Amino acid sequence: MKFGIFFELSTPRPFGREVEALVYHNALAQCRLADELGFDHVWAVEHHFLEEYSHCSAPEVFLAAVAAQTRRVRIGHGAVVCVPEMNHPIRVAERAAALDIISNGRLEFGTARSSTWTELGGFEVNPDDTKKTWDEFVRVLPKMWTSDEFEWQGKAFSMPARNVLPKPYQDPHPPMWVTVTTPGTELDAADRGLGSLGVSAAGYEEQERRTKEYHRRIQVCEPVGGVINDQVHTMNFLYCHEDYRQARDRGVPMINAFNVANTHLYWTREAYPTRAYQTLGNVGAGMKAKKTAPDDPSVAKGLPEGVGIGDPEHLIAIIKRWESIGVTGINFLLNAMEMVPQEQVLESMRLFAREVMPKFRSAEEAAAPVYSPAAVPSIPALPSTAEVA
Amino acid sequence: MLVGTADLDQLVQTAATIDAFPVEPLNLADVLCLQLTAEMHNQAREAVLPPSLHPTVPAILGLQVWQVGESPWGAFAMAVARVACRSGVRARGYTTAAFVSTAAATEGLRSMLGFPAVQGDVTIRHSYDGTRASVDWQGARILEVVGLDPEPLGAADVQYTGTLNLAHTPNGLRLVQVEAHHQVNRVERLTARLDTFDASAWGNPLLDPYRVVSCSVALEEVTFAPVRFVCKPDELAFTGTEAVA
Repeated sequence: MKFGIFFELSTPRPFGREVEALVYHNALAQCRLADELGFDHVWAVEHHFLEEYSHCSAPEVFLAAVAAQTRRVRIGHGAVVCVPEMNHPIRVAERAAALDIISNGRLEFGTARSSTWTELGGFEVNPDDTKKTWDEFVRVLPKMWTSDEFEWQGKAFSMPARNVLPKPYQDPHPPMWVTVTTPGTELDAADRGLGSLGVSAAGYEEQERRTKEYHRRIQVCEPVGGVINDQVHTMNFLYCHEDYRQARDRGVPMINAFNVANTHLYWTREAYPTRAYQTLGNVGAGMKAKKTAPDDPSVAKGLPEGVGIGDPEHLIAIIKRWESIGVTGINFLLNAMEMVPQEQVLESMRLFAREVMPKFRSAEEAAAPVYSPAAVPSIPALPSTAEVA
Repeated sequence: MLVGTADLDQLVQTAATIDAFPVEPLNLADVLCLQLTAEMHNQAREAVLPPSLHPTVPAILGLQVWQVGESPWGAFAMAVARVACRSGVRARGYTTAAFVSTAAATEGLRSMLGFPAVQGDVTIRHSYDGTRASVDWQGARILEVVGLDPEPLGAADVQYTGTLNLAHTPNGLRLVQVEAHHQVNRVERLTARLDTFDASAWGNPLLDPYRVVSCSVALEEVTFAPVRFVCKPDELAFTGTEAVA
């Protein structure tokens, strides 16, 4: 089981330079601590114009700072919106490769297509086209990363033969993922050999069904890249405290605030009738209270099913349940609109790392770095300007 | 979190009165429903909604023009302007004005469902090359929509959200939650122009649908469910929602 932290960079009103700076710098501090504590991933979304919900519109910049301030945690670009009006595919390939290099091969590369009219309309994207352009992007990016000469005539874009530079540090390229909001997208991921990066948490039963089908389909996939990524990650919330009542009292309002902000997004389907968006794409809906099985340990503690809010014992129980249904990683949202004071967020991470994480990895795994700095190649120094002259 | 800031004393001026909530569904058959959504500037975001509702970002105006072949009041046509919003976590449209072509339907929609309806001349013409709709009221044209270049869609491809009508009810002044179930038989997406829109006639001079997002026209049957919930207009839906017996 891998553990990650996941950033929307949600920001409380009233907006201002100070509050946005606080959100960004608190998040960076959480990333540094995650690195020290042995978390496996740091993920940052790409969203545009989503007031309060997400001010993370330039994740490649945020993640470059994370890469520079950490040594071992993997850098999750989760996810790049694969529509050409927002991101030209050549620039996507270039930025990702550069991020992989400066992080010494720690990049995880997520792909998405955006679900809100606020974003698609802001860039004047035709919602009918986003599935098509996403498919085109995920097929061409690995080729850009691995070919010395790449040319393309497509729908989203065309280009004459060029060498797209630099190349990623990882061989053949970083693991690729698809963010999964709408049920069924995990099958798109499986068919292409891509990891399933859940950004909404279904209940146990629903997740088990979807994970089984994902694993079945990926066995017969036609991979778009040079490597198959068969991991299934889900998104969750984290607030860990020795006293579950304190965890509940602090954590549940944070979940509710995030979910309410999510339901207030203006979904594409609401604005624009199209076959390309069949649901309201509601992330928060997946995290609402569900019918809870009588044996679920959440019941007695008044906690929502399967959510990472509680004391360490409780979190161990729910993570074991997620693990048992085939989930290979959980990415935690640590805060929403800065409702939880930063010191409490950090303390929750420390407690989780001390009491919960060791139950899911051997001593060897815990000791092993996610990447080895020793693997970075030694590059001969360039001649000085004077020598060249 | 943004919430509405409109003055209830202003909004209540056009409010209908419901003496008793309907207990039976209301069925409308042979319905042609044009739905247009348009973006508005921020001036029409919080300022046009009551304090219980949350605006969307961007602010969105939804216009629906209906031609109803069969109803308890006979055939009629109706045009409604709704501001997209959230009531608690639910996607809704808050009605700023409604115009109905017959006196019987106007009275029925006011007294049963709380639409702030007034009588007006509502027309909608559907043809193979497009759909045209207009509303005339007090001798002036207040709405003109032209939708061209129809593209067929699947019945499940169009989304209708519930409506909130501010009305005097047995519970007091409330937002009445109106749920219309659309049984879509055929739907087309149109490329639309909003040629005329008189904001003051549609309930608020701040309404400025400057950018049409989409337009669809559907042939359908519509059932209004009996009213089950109302909300206090000055209290968030999380605490201000009341069940109607």
